[in-house]
Amino acid sequence: MIPTQFDYKAPATLDEAVALLASDLDGAKVLAGGHSLIPAMKLRLAQPQLLVDIARIKSLSYIREEGDQILIGATTTHYQLESSDLLKQICPLLPECAKSIGDVQVRNKGTIGGSIAHSDPAGDWPAAVLALDADLVLVGPNGERTEKAEDFFVDLLTTNLLPGEILREIRIKKPSGRFGHAYQKVPHPASGFAVVGIAVNLTLNNDGSCKSAGIGVTGVDVKAYRATLVETALAGTSLDDNAIAAAVSHICDGVDPNSDLYASGEYRCHLATVHTRRAIQAAKARVQ
Amino acid sequence: MKLEGTHELDALRERVYQCLVTPEVLQRCIPGCEKLEKTAENTFAATIRAGVGSIKGVFNGTARLEDMREPEHLRIVVDGKGQPGFLKGSGDLDLEQTANGTKISYVGDVQVGGTIASVGQRMIQGAAKMMATQFFTSLGAEAKTAVGEPPPQHGFFRTALRWASGILKRLFSTQKAQKAQK
Repeated sequence: MIPTQFDYKAPATLDEAVALLASDLDGAKVLAGGHSLIPAMKLRLAQPQLLVDIARIKSLSYIREEGDQILIGATTTHYQLESSDLLKQICPLLPECAKSIGDVQVRNKGTIGGSIAHSDPAGDWPAAVLALDADLVLVGPNGERTEKAEDFFVDLLTTNLLPGEILREIRIKKPSGRFGHAYQKVPHPASGFAVVGIAVNLTLNNDGSCKSAGIGVTGVDVKAYRATLVETALAGTSLDDNAIAAAVSHICDGVDPNSDLYASGEYRCHLATVHTRRAIQAAKARVQ
Repeated sequence: MKLEGTHELDALRERVYQCLVTPEVLQRCIPGCEKLEKTAENTFAATIRAGVGSIKGVFNGTARLEDMREPEHLRIVVDGKGQPGFLKGSGDLDLEQTANGTKISYVGDVQVGGTIASVGQRMIQGAAKMMATQFFTSLGAEAKTAVGEPPPQHGFFRTALRWASGILKRLFSTQKAQKAQK
């Protein structure tokens, strides 16, 4: 329960943080909310030599509108996202997703950037940013680059972040027109992690048919993924029960589902099918 | 925990089999393998630095090849332990010549215990799948080269990263030194 010895640096700016990370690419680790890294360190499953604490960089924590985009700083906490009146109005998927994470203590410390960069197979944020087709802004020693959320998650706990890079900002195109959001989750009773979590971002045409759907799935595969087959199957339909049922049957296509003591792969896929249907129906009912 | 899967390799079955029983090749293919030594006929001692993301651990153990029927079948029995936990188990590999190369089917049963099993249970299978894919991808590249040719550069990306990180380190340390002078 006591981690191995490590150094701790709390830089005041992002540039300093990037330089510190570059000083020890193998041994340094970014610390944000610490709700995945610190437990792993206490169990000595992770033994970084140096922690670079970016949670104290004030300029990394914000939620704001800019043009047709919503910008979210990487160290914005789950609680800040959950309680943001702006987001409740213009992008309700984010507060709804935040509300389902862990408990109050976790939400007060844990950050959206930390969750995305850690890429836990059962983390909630990856599903939400996939459904919203977000862009992730990464900054490293060679400057800044932007990556689509869809390309970012590579494998179990593995992302396209290069050594030395830090996730700086999440950029989401402001939902417009007739849209409805829903996050539907089956939490693990002990940990609160998603056994399955389904994020839906639905846009309707004026006649009520489906214009487009963004669907992010977490908990099912080794990484969160976009259910593109379900999205395409929904587009253009009237979103009646038959159309939804036909579309959600593709939720696990091409996926080798996780299996653990709590839920077999088969059961997970079943849950995913049921909860994708419910999430789509909930999103549809919320369209204004 | 049951492990099961198939991988298609673009190489002849005889060649793939030879790769599977050659310690040097195995050491290059097993993700994070730092040492693999023959200790007796068909028995090897290995040190593997395995991990995903920030979760890492060093495992020491032995691997024994059994039931060898060249070039179609072999069985691997492993037993290892390290700081994060222990694992032991065995797996059967079947090699089948196909039109495009070799199809490897594996079925294994592995027991994992210790810290890694109690807290990482939900991720062990995913981690095993990931390492198996890395292993068979490297093995496929190895088997494609003819005997005597230099080994393929599947470690190229890693080498490139290390090289780049070395340059960065130097760059930043000179910058620091310059700043200090000012």
